[in-house]
Amino acid sequence: MKARIFLLLLAAVLSSGARAYDLGDFLGIKPPKNGTERPATAGEPAPKPLNLDALTTLLAARAPGEEARVGRQVAGDLLGAAPLVPDPRLQAYVNRVGRWVALQSGDNAVKWRFGVLDTPDINAFSAPGGYVFITLGLYRMLDNEAELAGVLGHEIAHVTQHDHMKILQQSTLISALGQAMGRQIKGSDQVAQNLLGNGAEILARKLDKDAEFRADRLGMVYAARAGYDPWGLPLVLQKLAALPANDSRMALLFKTHPSPAERLDALSQAIGSRFDQLGGPDLASRFYRIK
Amino acid sequence: MKHWARTAAILTGLVLSVPVWAAQGSLLRAENLRAAPAANAAIVVELAQGTAVDVVGRQGGWMKVRSGTKTGWVRLLSVRPGRAGERGVGLGEVAGLVARRPDASRVVSVAGVRGLSEESLKTAKFNVRQLEKLDSYAVSAEAARAFAAEQGLHARQVAQLPAPSTPNGGPAWGTEP
Repeated sequence: MKARIFLLLLAAVLSSGARAYDLGDFLGIKPPKNGTERPATAGEPAPKPLNLDALTTLLAARAPGEEARVGRQVAGDLLGAAPLVPDPRLQAYVNRVGRWVALQSGDNAVKWRFGVLDTPDINAFSAPGGYVFITLGLYRMLDNEAELAGVLGHEIAHVTQHDHMKILQQSTLISALGQAMGRQIKGSDQVAQNLLGNGAEILARKLDKDAEFRADRLGMVYAARAGYDPWGLPLVLQKLAALPANDSRMALLFKTHPSPAERLDALSQAIGSRFDQLGGPDLASRFYRIK
Repeated sequence: MKHWARTAAILTGLVLSVPVWAAQGSLLRAENLRAAPAANAAIVVELAQGTAVDVVGRQGGWMKVRSGTKTGWVRLLSVRPGRAGERGVGLGEVAGLVARRPDASRVVSVAGVRGLSEESLKTAKFNVRQLEKLDSYAVSAEAARAFAAEQGLHARQVAQLPAPSTPNGGPAWGTEP
């Protein structure tokens, strides 16, 4: 049903000959000139002739090159808000654990990068194309490598499921369709502006609840496949649930995610007795502890 | 030194690790307190939803808890930290049963430190030097495999978990044999 409406809209776009925005403009991305230049933050993007290539890219669920570029933009902006913890051994450790867990996702085309952000906030982020971050505040709450693997597994799942790309594509599509059909979809420009005004802002957006629950399930599965004690992620969620709900360090996390209790409940219903036979070390002995 | 580390790792694996929040918890759902951490272990006593328990250990997906004079095992995901009705992000809050009340004494003070707010993400400036630093820490699949092998981690097949058919509905395992 939804698919049918979508096809009708798509047909309208392709036949209308109307004008739409270029995908690159929506994403705030310019063709790379020197590779280091920050793309212009969206001002008022000027309407351009319909770019069928861009629309095709946009409609294609997977476009690795596009994902990598979007991810680089988002990650670079996020690092502008919070830099990496200046501890090379910590960063190297998290990259090894993360890469090992990511190998279990089967998504080998992705160039995975992991970083610990220097902020007391308790949170973790991912960006399209294989960027995964955990904050120092959350890292300090961890007790072993299996817990780290679980947290990273959740973020790796957002990348493999293209969750953030889906938000971008949806909002871009809505706006492009609105323009193309010569009909003003109320607030569509604002939607696109809000989403794409700054790359990192996408990280303050709430994903679908089901996307979060699925990332929790996949995070546990990836950690389990990597050989770890699979209970790392739920144990971290229990620690978060034990903190006062109004702890300011979790303000953004709670704004963008279902509550830890809700996530634990969803996990418990998905797991039942399925993981009863799965053991695995938590590797507390190898866990890199910050002085 | 390496040998010592390995011995320590093995010992750590054997000793029941107690979660950091430890001590006080309560049951999210009615549960059978079992004599051992297994679904087919003998039932010590049936515990009602909301029963206060003291968490004393963990083994796999099971937590060792004490309720009154009885000690036994319940599923890890059936336990929430804190007492039922106590403030926190409990399940009651999810169900909208418990009103949020601020408790100033429990607020962790991070005054003066700016966290990652929506605003700070909006106004963040692209930092290419940090991005390059991030790139420099990336490791190859080979390096990751070697790192895993150091501690005897092996990849294993684990099926994906299906999405629960009825989110937040019905008992999860309260009725399990």
